[in-house]
Amino acid sequence: MQDLLDILASGVHDAKNQLFVAESLIASAELERQLDLGEARYAVEAAAERLSRTLTAYRLLRQGEQASICPVIVADLCAEVALAQRRHLAAKHIRLSVDCQIVDECLFDRDLVTDMLNNAVQNAARFARSEVRLSAWLDDETTVFRVIDDGPGYASLPPPFGIGLMVAERLAAIHRRRGRRGSLHLSNGGLLGGACFEVRLP
Amino acid sequence: MSIDFTKKRFLVIDDQPLARDALRSIAQTVGAFAVEFATNYQDAIYRIRHNIPDIILCDYVLGDGRSGQQLLEELRRFNLLPDECIFMMVTGEQSYEQVVAAVELVPDDYIIKPFSPEKLLLRLERIIARKNFFAAYYKEKRQQEYARALSILDAQRNSEAGRPYRFEILRQQAEVLLISGDAESAEASYRNILENYDFPWARAGVARSLHKQNRLTEAREEIEQVVSKTPHFFDAVDIKASICMDQGEHAEAQKVLDEVAKKTPRNYLRKRLLAEAATLNGDMETARSTMADVIANDTMPGAISAEDRLNVARSHINGNDKISAEKVLVSLRDSEVQNFDLATQASYAALLAISSPERGKPRFAGLRPALLATEIPPTARLDILRAALGIGDHELADKQTAHLMSGDDAKRTFNTVRSQYALHGREKDFREIQRQVALKRIQHDETPAT
Repeated sequence: MQDLLDILASGVHDAKNQLFVAESLIASAELERQLDLGEARYAVEAAAERLSRTLTAYRLLRQGEQASICPVIVADLCAEVALAQRRHLAAKHIRLSVDCQIVDECLFDRDLVTDMLNNAVQNAARFARSEVRLSAWLDDETTVFRVIDDGPGYASLPPPFGIGLMVAERLAAIHRRRGRRGSLHLSNGGLLGGACFEVRLP
Repeated sequence: MSIDFTKKRFLVIDDQPLARDALRSIAQTVGAFAVEFATNYQDAIYRIRHNIPDIILCDYVLGDGRSGQQLLEELRRFNLLPDECIFMMVTGEQSYEQVVAAVELVPDDYIIKPFSPEKLLLRLERIIARKNFFAAYYKEKRQQEYARALSILDAQRNSEAGRPYRFEILRQQAEVLLISGDAESAEASYRNILENYDFPWARAGVARSLHKQNRLTEAREEIEQVVSKTPHFFDAVDIKASICMDQGEHAEAQKVLDEVAKKTPRNYLRKRLLAEAATLNGDMETARSTMADVIANDTMPGAISAEDRLNVARSHINGNDKISAEKVLVSLRDSEVQNFDLATQASYAALLAISSPERGKPRFAGLRPALLATEIPPTARLDILRAALGIGDHELADKQTAHLMSGDDAKRTFNTVRSQYALHGREKDFREIQRQVALKRIQHDETPAT
């Protein structure tokens, strides 16, 4: 099985390198010809994210994924999610607001959590009428991320789990610290009235 | 924050032409005016040595068995990266995060491909903000003003501006305490970090601090945990091997280093350590061939030190090839030898006296008064001991042995010393020296503290 994982990882790695070449060519064209091809670049990055997420899902299902815990500046991470999503959402007339109340560094897997939040924001934007909000705060020693929207909310609770939610739930759970583990909570009727995606990391 | 990148010099390091172009395009999109390329490891080192860039974008995979991580380690080893220079690792593999989370030596940041120019910009601006925050501390650390460096960190730790960097501050504090020689405080600092999370680099720090305090069993327990939980943290294996050697477990040291050296064939610091372990383990052929590999292939200018050449000579002597040992030793220029410190001069003279008595004896005899009166590190003591036994200078030899057997290096050097005495038919004398050392220790232990 390790061989299969190596083959998949190597294929994903090569594909992401190719996608990077594509993104850089688009960026060059934008610069040279003063074009805005942001949506094309967004599509390229989204494709790369899907590939990574699929590989992560495979690792998680085999229970081989480990969280790489590093100190992370949460405001910076929220800014990156906003940077990656805001323009795309704006094109759909959806406003992405960020409310980060954490000043200190927190401990979690930066790349996996960033991907999880990008995915949560993308999902929220599919159903939102006009607004998606990403917020982060500390609850005792737990880092809480919440993504809410003003859409109709989840049709059922719990909603059917696609790859994104399955990955989110398991990623939260592989964050363990001082005898506690991370968790995912899905609900309806948050501050904006729609779906509420909340991840709690110890 | 808005930073003018038009004045920054970028260096893009990647062995793949298309990927290099892609990185250049992205750098130009963020405003970079000057973007240089390095196509491989050696080229990168050459360029960085001769004209230090402001920002390095280095791909993790450099081909030819080398990685960006190895390049980073080499640059730090030769002090080629000034604090102001940004080293950003670029990788298509998410698994690099595991490396960063574990190891002690990390780049300023890493970024996963594909990424937008805007994201690169954001990351670079944050690195610059962090470097500005730590600038005063870096300056004191570079000048080895450790007390001042620590007081800056102390103040920052309690400041509002320091809150986003609290772990980095703790990490730097522990590191400086260890470099400055306060191993007990360093251990406490690393343990303080571990209370937050079991970071492999912090546990390795505990092991290094315990090692410095000569608490070998505890150090070994800590580093074993790191090695078993994070097998890709290769430096932890080096730490384990060093501890093993001090515990006299030379075979284990050689075994673990040999396994990791196969995975990192171009890491010549590790190869040197392997040669040392092999020597102590009595595997003269591995020691010789490993040092030959180091001398032939560690191509960084200045990388091959006098100590390396002495090691090669030692390995030849151990293999009973005195002619080759002599050749290596006489290839060192006289002016070079005169600039050695006393311990290196002593090793040189001793090894020459063993491999070519008529050439080496007079030099060795000339150093004798100094050798009897000075504190000398264990490797040089072993060389002196060996030469002294060879020329029948019992007083000089026995003095080295008494020193070695009563110090922290007793376990490390025991086998070598014993076999040298056996070679000269003086096993009884060796046992007597051991007895004297043990008696002295008992007397010392029984003396009430005043």
